[in-house]
Amino acid sequence: MNSAGKPATESFSSYCYQCVAGPDLMKVDTVDGVPFQIRPSGSAAEVHPAQGKVCVKAFGLIQKTNNPNRIQTPMIRTNPKKGRDEDPEFRPATWDEALELICGKLNEARRKGLNDESGFPRVAASFGGGGTSTVYMGTFPAFLKAWGSIDMSFGSGQGVKCYHSEHLYGEFWHRAFTVSPDTPMVEMILSFGANVEASGGVCGVRRHADARDRGAKRVQIEPHLSITGACSAEWVPIRPKTDPAFMFALINVLLHEVDRDQLDVPFLKERSSSPYLVAPNGFYLRDPATQKPLIWDLRSGNAVAFDTEGTDPAIEGKFTVSGIEIGPDDKQWRHEEITCQPAFGHLVDHILPYSPEWASGVCDVPVDMIRKTALDYLQHAHVGETVEIGGRTMPFRPVAISLGKTVSNGWGGYECAWARTLMAVLIGGLEVPGGTLGTTVRLNRPADNRWSSVVPGPDGFMNYPMNPTRKGEFNETSASRHAHQTLIPLAANSPWSQALGPTHLAWMAQKEGFEHLPKPTQPDVWFVYRTNPVISFWDTGAVADAIANFPFTVCFAYTHDETNHMADVLLPECTDLEGLQLIRIGGSKYVEQFWEHQGFALRDPVAKPMGEARDFTWIATQLAKGVGLLGEYNTAINKGAAGVRLFGENYDFALEPGVEHSVEDIWEQSCRAASAELTDGVESQGLEYYREHGFRTVPFPKERWYLYPAMVEKGLRFELPYQERLLRIGQELGDRLHEMGITWWDRQLKEYEAMPHFQDLQSMWEKALEAQYDVKVGDYPFWLVTARSMQYSWGGNVGIQMIHEVAANIAGHGGVVMNPAAAAKLGLAEGDRVEVYSPTGSTEGAVILRHGIRPDTLLMIGQFDHWKTPFAKDLKTPSMNSLMPMSLELTDATGSGADLVRVAVKKVGGRE
Amino acid sequence: MTRYAFVADLNRCVGCQTCTSACKHANATAPGVQWRKVLDFETGEFPTVNRAFLPVGCMHCESPSCRDVCPSTATGKRDDGIVTIDYDKCIGCAYCAVACPYQARYRVDKPSAAYGGKAMRHEAKREDPARLGVAQKCTLCVDRIDEGLAQGLVPGIDMEATPACVASCISGALQMGDLDDPESNVSKLLSERRHFRMHEELGNGPGTYYLYDGDIDDVAPTGSVPMVADPVGLAAVSPKVQTNWDWRAAANFILGGTGTGLLAMTMLAGLFVPVVWLAVFLALALVSAGLFCIWLEIGRPWRFMNVFLNPQTSWMSREAIAAVPLFGFGGLAWLLGSYWLGMLGAMSGLAFLYCQARILRAAKGIPAWRQPGIVPLILSTGLTEGAGMLAFVGFVTGLGEVSGRGMALMLLALVLARFAMWKKYRADLGETGAPTGVFSVLDGMRTGLSVQLQGAVAALAALAVIAPVGQGAAVALAGLGALVTGWMFKHTLITLASFNQGFAINKMPARGAGKSSQGIKPGWSQS
Repeated sequence: MNSAGKPATESFSSYCYQCVAGPDLMKVDTVDGVPFQIRPSGSAAEVHPAQGKVCVKAFGLIQKTNNPNRIQTPMIRTNPKKGRDEDPEFRPATWDEALELICGKLNEARRKGLNDESGFPRVAASFGGGGTSTVYMGTFPAFLKAWGSIDMSFGSGQGVKCYHSEHLYGEFWHRAFTVSPDTPMVEMILSFGANVEASGGVCGVRRHADARDRGAKRVQIEPHLSITGACSAEWVPIRPKTDPAFMFALINVLLHEVDRDQLDVPFLKERSSSPYLVAPNGFYLRDPATQKPLIWDLRSGNAVAFDTEGTDPAIEGKFTVSGIEIGPDDKQWRHEEITCQPAFGHLVDHILPYSPEWASGVCDVPVDMIRKTALDYLQHAHVGETVEIGGRTMPFRPVAISLGKTVSNGWGGYECAWARTLMAVLIGGLEVPGGTLGTTVRLNRPADNRWSSVVPGPDGFMNYPMNPTRKGEFNETSASRHAHQTLIPLAANSPWSQALGPTHLAWMAQKEGFEHLPKPTQPDVWFVYRTNPVISFWDTGAVADAIANFPFTVCFAYTHDETNHMADVLLPECTDLEGLQLIRIGGSKYVEQFWEHQGFALRDPVAKPMGEARDFTWIATQLAKGVGLLGEYNTAINKGAAGVRLFGENYDFALEPGVEHSVEDIWEQSCRAASAELTDGVESQGLEYYREHGFRTVPFPKERWYLYPAMVEKGLRFELPYQERLLRIGQELGDRLHEMGITWWDRQLKEYEAMPHFQDLQSMWEKALEAQYDVKVGDYPFWLVTARSMQYSWGGNVGIQMIHEVAANIAGHGGVVMNPAAAAKLGLAEGDRVEVYSPTGSTEGAVILRHGIRPDTLLMIGQFDHWKTPFAKDLKTPSMNSLMPMSLELTDATGSGADLVRVAVKKVGGRE
Repeated sequence: MTRYAFVADLNRCVGCQTCTSACKHANATAPGVQWRKVLDFETGEFPTVNRAFLPVGCMHCESPSCRDVCPSTATGKRDDGIVTIDYDKCIGCAYCAVACPYQARYRVDKPSAAYGGKAMRHEAKREDPARLGVAQKCTLCVDRIDEGLAQGLVPGIDMEATPACVASCISGALQMGDLDDPESNVSKLLSERRHFRMHEELGNGPGTYYLYDGDIDDVAPTGSVPMVADPVGLAAVSPKVQTNWDWRAAANFILGGTGTGLLAMTMLAGLFVPVVWLAVFLALALVSAGLFCIWLEIGRPWRFMNVFLNPQTSWMSREAIAAVPLFGFGGLAWLLGSYWLGMLGAMSGLAFLYCQARILRAAKGIPAWRQPGIVPLILSTGLTEGAGMLAFVGFVTGLGEVSGRGMALMLLALVLARFAMWKKYRADLGETGAPTGVFSVLDGMRTGLSVQLQGAVAALAALAVIAPVGQGAAVALAGLGALVTGWMFKHTLITLASFNQGFAINKMPARGAGKSSQGIKPGWSQS
């Protein structure tokens, strides 16, 4: 109360980064120190692409902060037995006691060596939310950096729930860890299962609404009518996991049914690998002297190096040429007077069998619809037009293709990512205004600047930091339990790479190791934050069993949940609204977060921490102190491990190493450094400024949304349609693995094609199931898929009552969505309780009938099946995760799987 | 003048429920209470299916039926079009809730916490006892508007002066502004884009407009919305039985109708035979019991005197006012044995009964009640029940004068008249259409007015007319039958057939370059 006896209300600035499509800025109102209301940030409207709005998930934060189910003191396990059926018998503890216990374990591990007898880090960490945890964990990344060797391979959804092939191939082709249409300018989008209206964040939603308003056409190709399908001009109910066929047929139409000059031939000649001559073994024909790939110059009538000035490269035709061919491990062939054709010509031949008529049968989509879609795409591409942005004239190609989860991960992901990117290349629409854009870089460096990451590599393409496959350079062991450096060249070795390895392999190895890889071990200490793999991964029972065997688990816990049920220590950290942190905003980040501004935003504590909860930065500092790494920790902060480098050319706000700094001091220096960074050292406002204003930005040139200018400036090409590099590393990888005696990865090696062939993915899934479980797939007549939900996705908010309440307004939450005709055949009615089962497990839920789903498909939205999390455990909501096998057969070459499984349904109860 | 209204662009709306949540924050509504929410509609059959999201809430109507029916004048309408509720006046009768065709009103009687048990600290801080037991709904964030205006801000343009749902809308689908300003955001949208209003045929003039397609042209008006009797997967938006008025409300209609009918019939019979003063007492007792039941139902029973405050438009106020002479004259007549006072009481009772009929007729949110034919039906059944009860009372008390041939004839005539009114009402309902559940309920035996039951009652009455002996027993049985079947009907009407209007979407919106398509009125049918 204030002196007048009225409640004292205050307003604080904060951000919401609960999903990968953030961050967004908001205001939090308190009354007498109690947070009660979330509001959009009106002051951010000028700089934020969605006018300073935050989505429904942000509004759950009030209940999250005040939730009576929160863990409010450190807790220590007293029951040494772990498992779902074991009561952990947690007892409250002081922070001193909890930290002493953890630091004792850490010091013990460090004494034994950072890595164990198998070469794996003794300390592991798992974070959820697609990488968003970082913006809530304060300086903990600096602690991890100070520690050194950390295993991040135990995934909580990475690889199996993400856009995995898009991440890896996207970065390879166009520095596109995430891919987006240039929605502010696009005219037509083909969306293969991408659910941007549910998972594209407020920027995505706002921009797509604007696009619809100006008459843009989006075609949603997906087995069920998702939120995004609902908001699209057309819905094409494709058979699950047959998207590559549809996309190959689109390419077929563009290559075989329209005049070549309707494509962007200049782009193909200058910015792609189309003109490169391909030799008999599938590698480029090269100049023997320079080893540069050769092209056929129509102007001179000769084969010349690709970068010869003043040429007119042929992209089709057969030419008699001589040169060398370089295969794996520098193996060379010399060719004299052989007939070669350019890569584009190979593409034309390669795609010929994939006609719309063929695809129609595969996809269960009318042939006219496929053909019309391709021609519409071409019509909207505006081939030949240009637009000026930031004083630069660039191609204007307002068409794009989006790929969703399950389409862009697991087998088929490569085909789809390739076809999508190729579709852009054919009309010159890759990384140009209106077209298909990458929006963030994670595997290449520097991660905060896509233009700077355009580093020249071999053969006129961008460099890519592959994990080496050449003899003598190959990593037979990886610094992770999922062997990402050994198995996945494309995963690279950036700080993000471990999370992009085959994370389910880490779990599978815990059950049964992989032949010729180091013996699987458990981490001595496992840190867990904002993730619940016992629910969010596949084969959840196996994951729970593995976690139960971990000797010492520390969970930064908000409430009890299924994973921290197996923990040894629970640490209550300040949640979203109670902690202090400064993060980068704007520029070009995930999904549709490409802004015309960039800068920093503050998460200002709006209330005192509940109970004994502590700021994450304080916890990190105490851990660093407790293990004697304060100097390394502060140095890591100084170097930018907490989000901003504290010194630069014209400024120095570095922390004194070796000294314990308070939370406020650390962020004060960070704020001052941030101000200095934005003003080239001219200004240095600290925490107080950010508390008052919430954020600070400077303009971000719009032309930097597009990679095209950087490619032109550096004279580089996109490596499409033909990927000689992938062919080569695939063969090298195969040789290396076979030298190690590893043959269980042979199926994955087949994905390393210069141009992907179509695979019958449905059959692949069916056969894998039959082989792994000795069942008849006919006994499991439905394909089960899942979809993201704006209310829930990434939010870790399944225990929030208000989220549950409002999500119930949207059909599909909380049950099994079925087509009425399919339900009728089984005698099922709306609300009937059913068991859905696969050979792996079963789950129960109520039938939700909707016409907007294929009769052969079932849908379960979100990830539930909780048995410990308060509130959530009483929801009786099904989840596909317990039905999903972890299968090597169904793991693609990038190490990912897809949310797809064959299931059966039986009634277990009447109407609810 | 100013007329604030909402515009929702269905092409933009993605059903995210951010507005729903922002409203809950701004207004601290209880768990389960959503003044603003977004519905999920689907039309068509696989593979030709459309799906759309429809924001709903209080429509802040031009002629709000909630205001007209409100007996306490708690519900008002400001000059700027905002429909308001004065929590200090409201008696919590929920008449407004059944009169609203948009299911926008809630009544919360007890504090509730999101996680059960003790309120969370922000819930405790924002508890508002004034909102318990009274009607509540969207206020259009009137405080934000007023405070914003005081600061020179423009509602609908400046975020601080704009309702929380609109201010938070992430897709820009929700807009709010002044319809009377031709240059306002909403006026411009409505002048440029095709739009509809939900349930416009009911005449409330809802203040929420839905944009569904591109530029306005000379395309014909949208016409009626197709009814779909048994929609798949649309239970959430289909009509449901209202829960505001339960057996206690039904008891008021049952006892009030029977009591006033009994008084009228008693005094009518008094023209020919001695007045049965016991029946007069019984009639007044029945009406009192009915009113007591309704008193038990209202959320703020000790404010019951506010029921008299709106005789200008509220039939509930008029019913209460009619009760005064009813009890005054009726009571005095019983005390003094005055026929003419009794007759004045009976006239008041008929007025009371008429008010009851009009109460239902004015409940625009309940299709089975708002039918014009409900008025003669309620009147006729009240009189029939009264006659039936008089005959029965006369027989069991040995006052044979009121259970003779004359009474039998009267009863027969009333039973037949009631049946005719019922058939007319039912036919009209079939023609206009109603929630499908209404028909299945009303056409069941429990309605009491089936041809079989009424045939049996009429046969007994006819038997009493022609029978040389046992006339009294026959007319008493017929009376009992008329009475019980009338009660069955009203109980069914109030508690079982009282499906609300449900929601409808007149047109499925064009999405981007797509086309708009036919909408749906789910859970409705004719006949």
